[in-house]
Amino acid sequence: MRDDPSVVALVARAAGSDQDAWNQLVERYAPLVCAICTRYRLSNHDIEDVGQNVWLLLVEQLGKLREPAALPGWLATTTSRECLRVVTAAQRLGTRLDDTPEFVDDVVIDEEILRAERDGALRAAFAELPPPCRRLLAMLFSDPPHSYTQISATLGIRMGSIGPQRARCLERLRRADTLLALSAGEFETNTPGGGPGA
Amino acid sequence: MLDDWDDEQLLVALGEAMRARQAVPESFVDLGKSAYAWHNIDAELAQLTYDSSREPVAGLRSEAASIRALTFTSAHISLELEVTEGSLLGQIIPPRAGTLETQTRAGTTTSTPVDEIGCFAVEPIPASPFRLRCRTADGTDVVTGWITL
Repeated sequence: MRDDPSVVALVARAAGSDQDAWNQLVERYAPLVCAICTRYRLSNHDIEDVGQNVWLLLVEQLGKLREPAALPGWLATTTSRECLRVVTAAQRLGTRLDDTPEFVDDVVIDEEILRAERDGALRAAFAELPPPCRRLLAMLFSDPPHSYTQISATLGIRMGSIGPQRARCLERLRRADTLLALSAGEFETNTPGGGPGA
Repeated sequence: MLDDWDDEQLLVALGEAMRARQAVPESFVDLGKSAYAWHNIDAELAQLTYDSSREPVAGLRSEAASIRALTFTSAHISLELEVTEGSLLGQIIPPRAGTLETQTRAGTTTSTPVDEIGCFAVEPIPASPFRLRCRTADGTDVVTGWITL
């Protein structure tokens, strides 16, 4: 998603002095930073340390990023580098017990980037839906999903209307700008349920 | 992508996306948001390049080392730190006079003078995590990453 307009706009606003835009960037990409730390099997304490450094480095880089749309890639690479530093230091000291840490290669990093971009776009699209759609879809995608009987009782929708409303809400989701930008990107092979940790 | 997905796949992907966000601790997100306080501060970030607690000492466990030493390095200067009982001693390399600020995560800041050979002493040792920002007369302005002792 090299041309995601929302990321470019958020980076530009955050490079000014817009704390809200910065917060949105953090909200959107914290799962990516966390996911990569998890790949390196860092402790919670180390994850916080790595996160701190990554965000501080990003604050420093705002306005200097040559390609703001490539922010997820920059974040993933930076996080990976910070994780490696922690892992190598622990190995040298002998405090890391599993001396065969999971091999985190570029393929894994790329998977996490794609996943983060897809998830971020889906969450952004979801947030733009009208509240009744969000309530209905939230009950449907919860794990385990709610039954139509529960949904009907909770939301006061007739059983027969749930199916059509579900279809309408998902159609709205599909047409959200963020998802249209995503489908124009490089995500053909990235199907749901097949990703890491799914 | 979306052209190929049916409603069921889209719903599954949406659920996964929402859960991926929920799995991230709020404290982690909050730390990220608070990092913005350093925006527009014209300081260069100095990276931790040496930490005695992470270096095995010639056959001894690091716990045996009595003094914890840390080095932070930026493009222009290094900051060498030693943690002693009750104080944090340091020196700017190459030596120069200036001011050292200690900032805690809670947002409190205290200033310490740096003498002409670049030495300073912070007493008492600040509550972890903290970071140091060093400004010198020649315009050098460097801030370290967060330090936890």
